[in-house]
Amino acid sequence: MIIELREFARVEGNGKAEIVIEDGDVKDVRLKIVEGPRFFELLTLGRHYYDVPDLEARICAICYLAHSVASVMGIERAFGVEVPEEIQLLRELGLIGEFLESHALHLYLLVAPDVFGYPDAIRMATKHGELVKEGLALKAFGNRLRELIGGREIHGINVKPGGFGRYPTQEGLEEVERQSEALLRLAKRAVRLFAQLDPYGERVKHFVVTDGYLWGKRLIAEDKEPFHYTERIEERSLVYSFAKQSRYNGEDFFVGALSRLLLKNEMLTPEAKRLFEEHRERLETGYVSYNNLAQAIELVYSLERAGEIAKTLLDRGINGENVPVEPREGEGIGYVEAPRGVLIHHYRTDSEGRITYSNIITPTALNHAMIEASLLREAKALYGEADEGDMIQRLEETVRAFDPCISCSVHLVKL
Amino acid sequence: MMGKLKLGVFELTDCGGCALNMLFLYERLFDLLEFYEIGEFHMASSLKTENHYDVAVVTGTVSSHRDLELLKHARNHSNYLIALGTCATHGDVQASVELPIREKLKAVYGDEGNPMKALDSKPVVEYVAVDLAIPGCPYDKNELYQALMDIAKGIDPVRPDYPVCVECKLNEYECVLVKKDLPCLGPITLGGCNAVCIKSGLGCIGCRGPLPGEVNPASEYEILKGKGYDDDYIVRKFKTFARWEP
Repeated sequence: MIIELREFARVEGNGKAEIVIEDGDVKDVRLKIVEGPRFFELLTLGRHYYDVPDLEARICAICYLAHSVASVMGIERAFGVEVPEEIQLLRELGLIGEFLESHALHLYLLVAPDVFGYPDAIRMATKHGELVKEGLALKAFGNRLRELIGGREIHGINVKPGGFGRYPTQEGLEEVERQSEALLRLAKRAVRLFAQLDPYGERVKHFVVTDGYLWGKRLIAEDKEPFHYTERIEERSLVYSFAKQSRYNGEDFFVGALSRLLLKNEMLTPEAKRLFEEHRERLETGYVSYNNLAQAIELVYSLERAGEIAKTLLDRGINGENVPVEPREGEGIGYVEAPRGVLIHHYRTDSEGRITYSNIITPTALNHAMIEASLLREAKALYGEADEGDMIQRLEETVRAFDPCISCSVHLVKL
Repeated sequence: MMGKLKLGVFELTDCGGCALNMLFLYERLFDLLEFYEIGEFHMASSLKTENHYDVAVVTGTVSSHRDLELLKHARNHSNYLIALGTCATHGDVQASVELPIREKLKAVYGDEGNPMKALDSKPVVEYVAVDLAIPGCPYDKNELYQALMDIAKGIDPVRPDYPVCVECKLNEYECVLVKKDLPCLGPITLGGCNAVCIKSGLGCIGCRGPLPGEVNPASEYEILKGKGYDDDYIVRKFKTFARWEP
């Protein structure tokens, strides 16, 4: 017998799952990504490098800047271009905006209705209007940062290899400093809310992150040995899904906020570090549902770090100069932390700067096996014990804890 | 006052941005909800009524049989259908990969291909008649807000009919095509975005699709050639978001 879950609501993109029952027991779970394929790697082949980050941004709206920045970094590494600290800080500020926008969307509009028992945030607003408004305020500020750095809220084209089309003004940075301070109170409230919830889902054994907080030159896992994705991560196609599945040394693993906090907590800002320590024991149990608590702590981190960056840039003033980019034959990988985990853009270029090879692996594709493992554990625990409707509800919540982005996961690989 | 209009938001294959952009209306979303009741909006709500919609908003391209069924459902159960975003109106970037679907699938999923059925990505407007098309990758959320408000009040929404250059000039931005020799598609692209990319000092990438009517892509082509861009580069640029024929 197969229990078919209808397409998930309150996730980005289109996916569903089925539970296979044999002899009265849960035998297997399949996560089926039904979003159509979009062929981004094929799209970029033969393209001039300058246009590529703008195209790659279209992979995902929730985290378009993570795609732009990963793409720009892959291209810069292929050409041997190094950018100065000013440009790095501004890129970081944009990515922080994306964390705020994406985590606030996920926690307040997609997950909170489960916590309070509503089908959506709009209906939840009748009783919990304050909370919904707080979420929208955080989200709007995140988008303000995306607009400032990326050029617009969705799919801006301002982030370029070697720098930016336009640099933010002093007034823009002053606003960032003010607002990030003012919103901190709301983020701390979110941490309290998500710390109260009971754990569910699978317990994670392997965590993978980039070696810096928001990006890196390599990846790291529990042993903290830097590695390239090709050394330890393998992808394979599935017959029932348009998204591929990845394994780390042959096993399922997790990328995302929980992984970042557990492996990189020494890089956190003061208040975020304090909150991490307060909840360390809980987070270290490794239940995927604590990813939501980890995201709430990252809201605090993001606001503190945005304030720090704005202050640094205001103190020293913005130079606003791009680094010249000379195309050459080369190969480069951009590793960025999208809000929902590690994002990889890998390119080879020819001497005129055209793309000859492109491979993109998104966080949801990396988490695919872990989502299935979590669904399996939850279905086994609940089948026959709980009412079928309740079981299905909990399974949907389990998927949601990963903050999956299904549109992003529909990609492809080696050519 | 009459009852609220029932709104359905249907996502086919896309990046999620068109649905997300509706949530970026923030407080104005609540203003819209004075006139609309949400019957289906899977990114935002678990509720699903599956009957009749006064207004259906469809985003994305038709890239699978599931997409096609969902599109037909939306069309057959709605009075007014809006194709929202460049995927729905012109196919956007995912429709620009010109290989046949079997070859695309083979390139991605290996020799055996993927046994799941996929279709070549095509815009919504190639399959059904639509009442309003709002392009943009992303579309301008103010344009959608105004259109939904107009529909609720029985007014025919305004449709922009001028190129991006008009908004660029109104904002007094420096012409990046003339002054910086950037490959700007502003002269042949439908306006309505407030020239947001030129605001960043960068060229228009044509995300709102071709200006209908008197547009002159041949002349744009000659200008870009004159600036040293090669044929392949220009043709690809023209075909990225919509299928311009130079």
